[in-house]
Amino acid sequence: MVRLTMYKYFQVGKTSLKQEIAYPINFVMWRVRNIIQILLVLFLWDSLISDPRKVLFGYSRDMILTYIFGIMLVRAFVLSSKSMDVAGEVARGELSNYLIRPVNYFFYWLSRDFASKVLNLSFVFVEFSLLFLILRPDFFFQTNIFYIGFFIFSVFIGILIYTLFLFITSSVTFWMPEMGWGAHFLLNVVLVEFLSGVLFPLDILPQAIQKVINFLPLPYLVYFPLQIYLGKQSTYELVRGFVVEIFWLGALALFLNFIWKKGLKVYESQGR
Amino acid sequence: MRRSGIKENINKAVVVSGLVKNFEVLEKGARNIDRIKSLLKPKKKVVTALKGISFSIGKGELVGFIGANGAGKTTTMKILSGLLYPTAGFVQVLGFNPWDRKREFLKRISLVMGQKNQLWWDLPAIDTLELNRAIYEIPHLTFKKVLDELVEILDVKDLLTTPVRKLSLGQRMRFELIAALIHQPEVLFLDEPTIGLDVVGQQAIRDFIYQYNRKFSATVMLTSHNMSDLVDLTKRVIVIDKGEIVFDGKLTDLITNYAKEKIIKIYFSGDVNIGSLEKICKIRRYAYPEAVISVDRSLAAFTAAELLQNFPVADITIEEEGIESIVRRVFRGEAVNG
Ligand SMILES: Nc1ncnc2c1ncn2[C@@H]1O[C@H](COP(=O)(O)OP(=O)(O)OP(=O)(O)O)[C@@H](O)[C@H]1O
Ligand SMILES: [Mg+2]
Repeated sequence: MVRLTMYKYFQVGKTSLKQEIAYPINFVMWRVRNIIQILLVLFLWDSLISDPRKVLFGYSRDMILTYIFGIMLVRAFVLSSKSMDVAGEVARGELSNYLIRPVNYFFYWLSRDFASKVLNLSFVFVEFSLLFLILRPDFFFQTNIFYIGFFIFSVFIGILIYTLFLFITSSVTFWMPEMGWGAHFLLNVVLVEFLSGVLFPLDILPQAIQKVINFLPLPYLVYFPLQIYLGKQSTYELVRGFVVEIFWLGALALFLNFIWKKGLKVYESQGR
Repeated sequence: MRRSGIKENINKAVVVSGLVKNFEVLEKGARNIDRIKSLLKPKKKVVTALKGISFSIGKGELVGFIGANGAGKTTTMKILSGLLYPTAGFVQVLGFNPWDRKREFLKRISLVMGQKNQLWWDLPAIDTLELNRAIYEIPHLTFKKVLDELVEILDVKDLLTTPVRKLSLGQRMRFELIAALIHQPEVLFLDEPTIGLDVVGQQAIRDFIYQYNRKFSATVMLTSHNMSDLVDLTKRVIVIDKGEIVFDGKLTDLITNYAKEKIIKIYFSGDVNIGSLEKICKIRRYAYPEAVISVDRSLAAFTAAELLQNFPVADITIEEEGIESIVRRVFRGEAVNG
């Protein structure tokens, strides 16, 4: 039973991948754009902080470079999602297509999302190796296998939390079909942009604010994983971080389940 | 009493009783000032799409569900397949409450809506079908057997590996149908399955529905504005009008019920004053020397006599109203029982 279910979502991911590479040229161009973007940012920061001894907000040169590079990577993985258009599917009534089949809509999109991420990860790996061999930038390499393991685990949970965010904000469309995009913009763009550590490392904020923010789910999307990778978290911070993060994962999942059920009751299955 | 009621339900695929569905609509207003007002103080209007309808469909039956635009056909089907939450009333399909959307329930039904598509646009149809095999947990062997059969009947075997976006509308519709049937549902809700197809395409789909109903003894509920769909396929029809069921019975009975008028065809032998002809009957078509008129059944003989007396008539025939024009009137939403 469980195996069959796993197989179901594996097949969803596989089909999604086929769709993604149905236009190979588009896909390649998109990767090229990514590389150019990475190069630009790298060159920019490399020239801004050319002095290797300079320390900025407690970050050394190689750590800043790594942080910036890491943000681009982690962000590309966590703050991007195939399920971006759930609100649209609800408003247009396309959700009906899934509701009438024995498939879980959340896991459906999650499978598609993970498939896409695996594909991109393999490309990033090749691109990164090439970049590194050619440019030899000053990067900080984490050698502690535990930190790397925790880093990957926290990215994984970050992806789940962000997907839950997307689904929860999209649920607004059940009641207000026009509001889906607005809710998404407020929460997932503005708030996340500020408080996930994408714009700046959160530890440059005053301690008091940091304390509050640390109890929100947002820092766990980008900032927390990167701090783990950079080895900047004490054991206490690490444990506390994971406890808070996993608490939010559970709470958001329960909340989504609750609000989704309510939403389906007013769902109008529009469009014919 | 009770026991026999339960027994009866066992042989029913669909049981609907007192089903009501309300939609809440926000009134936006036509003028901009009204729209701004409605933002501040939203006015809600309740649209009652279904006003407590009741009917049941036996296992293996093929029923036509007809009515004018906006009568409530699609709404009913969406409730029966668990997409919409009913406002009130009792609904049971294969013994399940559709709203629960249990996996065992979803695996045994299918809803096909003419223009809704589940096929993956950039991929060949076989990929969507393979995905459905996994989603519906169909064993490989069964899948292959059913697929072979379906592509054979619908004559699309060679197109399985063509990207869907390169298929014509009709070819795509056939694959939509295959994708909806690959799990061999016992109950099939078809909402205008032949919409947008050419005559050949319509015929292929019709033949197919007929065969599917026979072969798998599947229960089929079909809406269509296409008269041939109904005449060819259904024995029983349910007519819905403005959210109420106004007829439920044999198609042939519908016709006798409905046929309130008779058709009189006249060939004139000389000039006719149309004005005075219009005074005694309803003219449907007039192209000298032929006129087609319709009159109330009870007045048919009288009118014919009148015509013979006052007009230069070469030939006259009295006919029953054709099934096509009756069904057309049903589609226009004319009252069934007057
Ligand atoms: N989401 C909705 N919000 C408000 N009113 C709706 C909604 N969906 C349907 N209605 C109304 O309910 C009534 C029934 O609609 P329905 O789609 O069931 O008609 P139908 O019989 O399928 O018509 P058609 O032949 O045009 O497909 C219509 O008056 C329609 O305007
Ligand atoms: Mg309809």
